[in-house]
Amino acid sequence: MEDYKFLFKVVLVGNAGVGKTCLVRRFTQGLFPPGQGATIGVDFMIKTVEVEGEKIKLQIWDTAGQERFRSITQSYYRSAHALILVYDISCQPTFDCLPDWLREIQEYANSKVLKILVGNKTDRDDREIPTQIGEEFAKQHDMYFLETSAKEAENVERLFYEIAAELIEQARSKEPISQHSRSTADSIGLSSLGSKANYLSQSGCCSSLSSHST
Amino acid sequence: MSMIKCCFEPVELPEFVETVVQKCTDPGCCCGCCSALRPRYKRLVDNIFPVNPEDGLVKSNMEKLTFYSLSSPEKLDRIGEYLYQKATKDINRKRYKLVEIAMEAMDLLLMACHAQTLNLFVESFLRMVQKLLEDSNPNLQIMATNSFVKFANIEEDTPSYHRRYDFFISKFSSMCHGNNENIELRDSIRLAGIKGLQGVIRKTVSDDLVENIWDRQHMEKIVPSLLFNMQNGPLTATEDATPTSPPVLAEAVLRELVSRASFGHIRSVLKPLLTHLDRHELWVPNQFAIHTFRIVMISIQPQYSYTVVETLMQHLDSNIKSSPHTRTSLAVVLSKIIAIAAGESVGPSALDIINNLLTHLRTSVSSMKEVSPEESQYQEALINALGEFANHHPDYQKIEIMLFIMNTVPDLSKKGKGDQMLQNILLKSLLKVGTQYRTASFEKAFPASFLQPLLKMARAPHVPTRIIVMQIFQALLDRHQNQGILSNVTVKNYPTLSLESASRSDIIFTHKYGANIMQALIEGMALSDRIDPLASSYNTAALMIVEMACSETVQEFILFILGIQELATTSNDLGSYHKCNLHSIAISLLMLLGRVTGINNIIEYAQKIIDARKEEAPYFLPPMLDSKKTTQKYSTNLPHLMIDKVTLTECLQNAGMDSGRVQTGNPYSLSQTDNPAHRTSWVEVSSMPSRPSATDLSIYTDADSVNSSPGVLKKTLAPELNFDAMKRALAEPTESAKKEAREKQMQIVRTFRESNFDDLVRRTEPKHELIQNRLNELFNSLASERQITQTETKNTTTQKPVYENNFPELFYY
Repeated sequence: MEDYKFLFKVVLVGNAGVGKTCLVRRFTQGLFPPGQGATIGVDFMIKTVEVEGEKIKLQIWDTAGQERFRSITQSYYRSAHALILVYDISCQPTFDCLPDWLREIQEYANSKVLKILVGNKTDRDDREIPTQIGEEFAKQHDMYFLETSAKEAENVERLFYEIAAELIEQARSKEPISQHSRSTADSIGLSSLGSKANYLSQSGCCSSLSSHST
Repeated sequence: MSMIKCCFEPVELPEFVETVVQKCTDPGCCCGCCSALRPRYKRLVDNIFPVNPEDGLVKSNMEKLTFYSLSSPEKLDRIGEYLYQKATKDINRKRYKLVEIAMEAMDLLLMACHAQTLNLFVESFLRMVQKLLEDSNPNLQIMATNSFVKFANIEEDTPSYHRRYDFFISKFSSMCHGNNENIELRDSIRLAGIKGLQGVIRKTVSDDLVENIWDRQHMEKIVPSLLFNMQNGPLTATEDATPTSPPVLAEAVLRELVSRASFGHIRSVLKPLLTHLDRHELWVPNQFAIHTFRIVMISIQPQYSYTVVETLMQHLDSNIKSSPHTRTSLAVVLSKIIAIAAGESVGPSALDIINNLLTHLRTSVSSMKEVSPEESQYQEALINALGEFANHHPDYQKIEIMLFIMNTVPDLSKKGKGDQMLQNILLKSLLKVGTQYRTASFEKAFPASFLQPLLKMARAPHVPTRIIVMQIFQALLDRHQNQGILSNVTVKNYPTLSLESASRSDIIFTHKYGANIMQALIEGMALSDRIDPLASSYNTAALMIVEMACSETVQEFILFILGIQELATTSNDLGSYHKCNLHSIAISLLMLLGRVTGINNIIEYAQKIIDARKEEAPYFLPPMLDSKKTTQKYSTNLPHLMIDKVTLTECLQNAGMDSGRVQTGNPYSLSQTDNPAHRTSWVEVSSMPSRPSATDLSIYTDADSVNSSPGVLKKTLAPELNFDAMKRALAEPTESAKKEAREKQMQIVRTFRESNFDDLVRRTEPKHELIQNRLNELFNSLASERQITQTETKNTTTQKPVYENNFPELFYY
């Protein structure tokens, strides 16, 4: 009945102006908004994708990069299944801030959250961070790595599809152990109770329901 | 019908119906052909949708649906599910009008149905709301929010264990930050977000079984979202009854949230609030912070308001490294709200706050090398907070607070610059509290444990310290707002002075402690020739006279005035300006005393001296001389211009008053300056009604002075100083002792007046020397003892500084 099998929450973080909103817009609406203003607080988008014949609903929370909104954006990390850490390949400072971001993620996000490092704006010809540097950094910190261009729509689809695929993988490998605690945010200490996992109609129960009906 | 029905029992639909439903996208088209195949509820639902979406809900059919669901409530969940599916499809096909109709129908059903049957319907209702919220169409979002608010206002009586709100909180918070280019639309999105949050709060806060709204992850979204909207609004409270702009509504929701918070939850609201203020740099300037905290303080359940103060202080703790500006702002905010909390915090918690503030002051003083204006602003703000806090306590607690502060003031023996600064700062805060105190009785205002350390501080070598101590005295002494009037040293009448005769307890206090205070005043006056501290001492003394002088205490004050004069005449290490000023003070005080007590003889006598001084030595009259401005030399040895003790005695006698004390007593004078001896003398002082023993002894050193009249020799004391004699002296009624003493006095005076000079010399010389020698012996031993103890204390202080800090001077006594 429900038109998706899994629901995943994806949160984008990174310095102001690295192109988080543009990535989301490109992915959800297929457009590149020129002169995009700074995000305030948190933006929300939804997109359903199909991976391996399964419909996956992605809740995408696009956070503001500005320092002053850090307190509210941090509160969104907690329930995220995947965190996309974005930097601008043509802007060294945005790369230099990555360790700080990782520290924040460490502090506020679930420890098992899927982390993806994204070097955005590959269309720019004033690249400052070579691909290899980014790759190495990602490897060091146990992250996936991808370079994208929201403007040229390069790797944007791939980024989200791979996240979805990876999350499905994770979810399936966890399934036999704890049926209900699909929403990773709640798996800490509560998985055995299972009562909290019935998040409206997402993930666990409804996925099994819909699989019956289809 | 029944056959179809039973097929439909499970949630999943048979394949063929599903396909029909899917094909049947336009509700109008297939009503005729396949209605027979469809269950009744589906037909009813389909019928509420108009052929043309613009026509809106088909009202009559909606009534039918409502009636049906009321009569067979077990169908409600399926109706909800079906409506949800229809809406989902319509959303996907972007037929927003139809979505709106579906939502409207759901609202109507929700309103019409009884609470106990709602439970299952609510599931699909909320899914519908979520579906609408997920769409990027702002109108759908706003509509969904409105529906959600309607739902939130329904009181459900069945608990819903598995309902989750975190998507709603996340989404509504996100909407609160809406940033649409269209300002009007942006505001309505934000309004919707705030309303939604309000709905979630209402729905969850009273129900323990649902989500714990106070969880960190929720509060960290809700509170900043509200604040973000508030900070763009006006800071003045608008009287508007209907909140229409995001700031106003956000404020209302914050109030509601805070007012619902229980003790354990206050912190989960305050923490994100503080973080938000930090992040958005809203401390400097701090209007918004003050505004916000006021709201919190006013809305919070009064018994918890103390927690807010505590949390703010902790925040100050954690900001110890921030710029003084930030800290000042924080302290100002604290001072603005602390008053609201004061009423609720009593006893230990009040002292806890005070202690906390004092600790901050101490850290501030000790951490800075140089006195920067910012830092002193910060200290000022802290002191203000302290004052504000104390101000809202009953007077008996103010005394407790003052005592507490007094005990934290570092000992005078610590001469370091930091300690000195700390002394000043703490005394300043003491002054702040003192000015808030309304003295009724001196007995209560100056408990011994408070008075003694204060008097010790009055002898501090540091001039500003002494001035502050004097100000504290003035604040506490001044019951009739005379302080300002008496700040000016003059022999002229103070026309606006307000007077009230001293009460019984004032007189008792004067007898008990007046001497101690005056003693300290004299010693303070001897310490510096600067005009400020002298004027300050004068002010205090004048206030004492105004408040305490009456026929029963006048003698005490005369001795005090004579003491000032004696200090000026006998002391060798005072400069001539200093002496002149002391004379000015003495005569001014005498004049004031005469006027206050109404003893005309004294006034006349004082006037006579003044007139004589005007002729010969105007520098013995106010205004006081500034040693920096004038360089002229003045002759200070003018015995005939002095206030004469004997004449004063006569004045008193002529006025029909007792003058025995003036005759027998000695003018106040400088006592020993070394500290340990001081302390022992204090212990005696507090237990003895009259004079410190130190002064009694000192008379011998003064015995050969030019001005001391012969009548004041020491022989008046009981001749044999054994235990019995002391016991007798204590046990005897004072009147008879006085009489006896007076008789002896007269006898001595007679002897001295009648016998010749040589005889007198013979009589006094040997004894005088004997005692002098004995005294020297005593002092020497004391001095050596002190050296030993000093070296000892030096060792111990380096070893146990903590002990020193934790047990302030209170424990010395």
